[in-house]
Amino acid sequence: MAKAKGYSDENLSVRLADRYYRTDDASPDFLKNIEKIGMTIAHMCYQCGTCTGSCPSAPRSSYRIRKFVRRAVLGLENDALTDPDLWLCTTCYSCTDRCPRDIAPTDIIMAMRNLAFKRKIVPRNFLNTVQFIYKTGHGVPNNDVNRAARVKLGLEAEPETTAKYPEFIPGIQKILDHYGLKDEADEILSEGQ
Amino acid sequence: MVDETKSQKPRVGVFICHCGTNIAGSMDIKAVQEYARTIPNVVYADEYQYMCSTPGQTKIEDAIKEHNLTGVVVAACSPRLHEPTFRTASKEGGLNPFRFEMANIREQNSWVHMHDHEGATNKAKDAVRMAVAKASLLEDLFPKSVPVEHAAMVVGAGVGGIQAALDLANAGIKTYLIEKLPTIGGRMSQLDKTFPTLDCSQCILTPKMVDVGRHPNIELMTYTEVENVEGYIGNFDITLRKKARGVLTPVEAEARGIVGGGCNGCGDCEAVCPVIKPNPFEMGMAPRKAIYIYHPQVVPLIYTVDFDSCVKCGLCVEACGEKKAIDLEQEDEFVTVKVGTAVLAVGYELFPIEKKPEWGYKRYDNVITSLEFERLICASGPTGGHVIRPSDGETPKKIGFVLCAGSRDNTGVGKPYCSRFCCMYSLKHAHQLHEKIPGSQSYLFYMDIRSFGKMYEEFYYRIQDEGTKFIRGRVAKIEEDPITKNLHVLTEDTLLGQPVDIELDLVVLASAVQPTEETNHVRHLFGVSQSMDGWLLEAHPKLNPCGTTTAGVFLAGVCQGPKDIPDTVAQAEGAASAASIPIHVGEVELEPYFAMCIEEKCAGCGMCVNLCPYSALDLVEKNGRKVMQVTEAKCKGCGTCGGFCPGGAIWMQHFATPQIVAQIDAFLLGGEQ
Repeated sequence: MAKAKGYSDENLSVRLADRYYRTDDASPDFLKNIEKIGMTIAHMCYQCGTCTGSCPSAPRSSYRIRKFVRRAVLGLENDALTDPDLWLCTTCYSCTDRCPRDIAPTDIIMAMRNLAFKRKIVPRNFLNTVQFIYKTGHGVPNNDVNRAARVKLGLEAEPETTAKYPEFIPGIQKILDHYGLKDEADEILSEGQ
Repeated sequence: MVDETKSQKPRVGVFICHCGTNIAGSMDIKAVQEYARTIPNVVYADEYQYMCSTPGQTKIEDAIKEHNLTGVVVAACSPRLHEPTFRTASKEGGLNPFRFEMANIREQNSWVHMHDHEGATNKAKDAVRMAVAKASLLEDLFPKSVPVEHAAMVVGAGVGGIQAALDLANAGIKTYLIEKLPTIGGRMSQLDKTFPTLDCSQCILTPKMVDVGRHPNIELMTYTEVENVEGYIGNFDITLRKKARGVLTPVEAEARGIVGGGCNGCGDCEAVCPVIKPNPFEMGMAPRKAIYIYHPQVVPLIYTVDFDSCVKCGLCVEACGEKKAIDLEQEDEFVTVKVGTAVLAVGYELFPIEKKPEWGYKRYDNVITSLEFERLICASGPTGGHVIRPSDGETPKKIGFVLCAGSRDNTGVGKPYCSRFCCMYSLKHAHQLHEKIPGSQSYLFYMDIRSFGKMYEEFYYRIQDEGTKFIRGRVAKIEEDPITKNLHVLTEDTLLGQPVDIELDLVVLASAVQPTEETNHVRHLFGVSQSMDGWLLEAHPKLNPCGTTTAGVFLAGVCQGPKDIPDTVAQAEGAASAASIPIHVGEVELEPYFAMCIEEKCAGCGMCVNLCPYSALDLVEKNGRKVMQVTEAKCKGCGTCGGFCPGGAIWMQHFATPQIVAQIDAFLLGGEQ
């Protein structure tokens, strides 16, 4: 736990706060949960950086996949789950492809997102995506630009999905309802308002 | 011989070892001891902290005398570790050493049942009961001595094989040095300089090569492979295939009656040969002809015809003239030599790093391997020591070194182990560039710098001081600029926590090393095991690093696992020393586990004769009927014949059917009679 120091100036207190990592900062089950959900050997990471070096998000953001794996190893649950960078992974799986220790860093990130969602830490745009899927069966529904492009290419305006067969949307809704995803997303969204 | 103890009722002593807490920590020693006292034939049971210690062994010796024991059981570690110790103790106590039986309650019990105290205790009781059952039936056995041939063989003539051969030869032993390539010298002869002293590799190696070539005790056989191995320690019969070289040495020429002829290395043949092939010594970066030598310093200086590419035009034969050294119709020859011991020093090759596509080897011109770099920077190499970019021949100014290329890799494509010398040679490469190309800048991409040898860390300090930039990050990807052919090395500087994109002129991959293609074949011939990673398996990683599980066969150099030149030479000297011991002693004792024919039962069917993998059995005529006979020196006691014999006429000494059945009964009946 970060120890408070008694500076009279509040800002100074924050700036000069003790930032040591202490073993009691570690969440005992974080690593275990991640390995269970992600089904990968996160604890075998030797921090070589191949993942971040492969990551298309890294050069354009502060997202460092290697750091998230490190947080998993050290049990820094709060740091990991509250870091907005957690949501910058595009799940391209380049890191998983190249990891020399045969770890799946992408799946570690997905596991962390799962755990974050349980704590209702989700960026709004992800929740909006849930709404879209619920409504249309697509995270990115078909739109007029897309339809025009498809027609130009000689394709049908609507692809062979719920876009063309909206009668299957209730089925998708049933699945989402079963897991309570829609309700949960609605709840978090409304809380934020 | 008459065995007095045989007629006696068995009197077995049981000794249980604590092995500190190794065994005692996982089971109830006292309970096992108390139990042992209840087993039939046991007349004495004791326990001790360390049975292998002097007081422990004294306990055995005293008990044999005091209780007139006919058999000894020690429940402790594995027979591999301490069977010899306790056999000696039994002998000191006046018992035949083969009346000792070991119960393994450590490796096969306490270490694997660490958390099951009761289960481990019960299992130890079972193990002791079974050992007692066997010890009750053991007989006196007498090891046989066989003479050792006063000669040795070294397979592979890199620096390790050369050193081992020189040591053996200098110890007065006739030594056959076998090399599959046309010249000796191995990988070390391809290197420009050696770390950390920066000695010229060829300069320190060639004197040894020359010594090998003219040592009176060394018979150097290049372009030769091991074809077959028979026999056992002291008496190996090794058949060698002398591959057709197409060129006669002066000695060979003389044998054919060509006086003053044979190859003198003049090179006239090479000059007229019309066939051009890549030279593997130069990693394919320079041409050679179909009749060739690898480089000017080859030992022996004899040309070789590559019959796979020779068109037999005969120009070389003409050019050679009166020397009559070239014979384009030559065929492989086989010779068999007898040696007492053998040293395997069959070396390594580079992992084919193109299997890791992200680094672009063989796709991008300017990505090369470290061995290619060695040839490029070597004064005798294809460019005369000028490092150039393969794409345009320009001198590179910004050079990157990618460490752990294929090493420390658990993906299945690559090698899980550390290749152990890449860190150091990459530092050396960076230094050489600093020295040779003014204004050049080297970048070294690493995960850990492993500079653990003598003066190695100091070398690392020196290279850092010279200005090489160290970037801690494993290279994720290399991309090529299609116009300039420059390379973008993409990785994370993990210390900065930032992705980096470094544009370089040349990238050198420190590729992992792996056993050569032939290693597996050679190890099967000599009966040597391999470890999980494919390297040859030493008898014990710490206490017998040069030996193998096959008596009389030893290992030197990288074939046993990655190691640099100092370690290779050290191991070669160790292997040579170990290989010379049985030769100097002059005879070896064989374990008396031979098969024996019970002639009254033998029907002379002869089926066992063909089954024997060691050709140790024959059918002979005795008292007017055919019976099987064992050549004891050839028999390894494998039990194939004994297990097969339909009449039960083969007695496997020390593993006899009644002894084994008694053990099984002891186990299955749980001690009940």
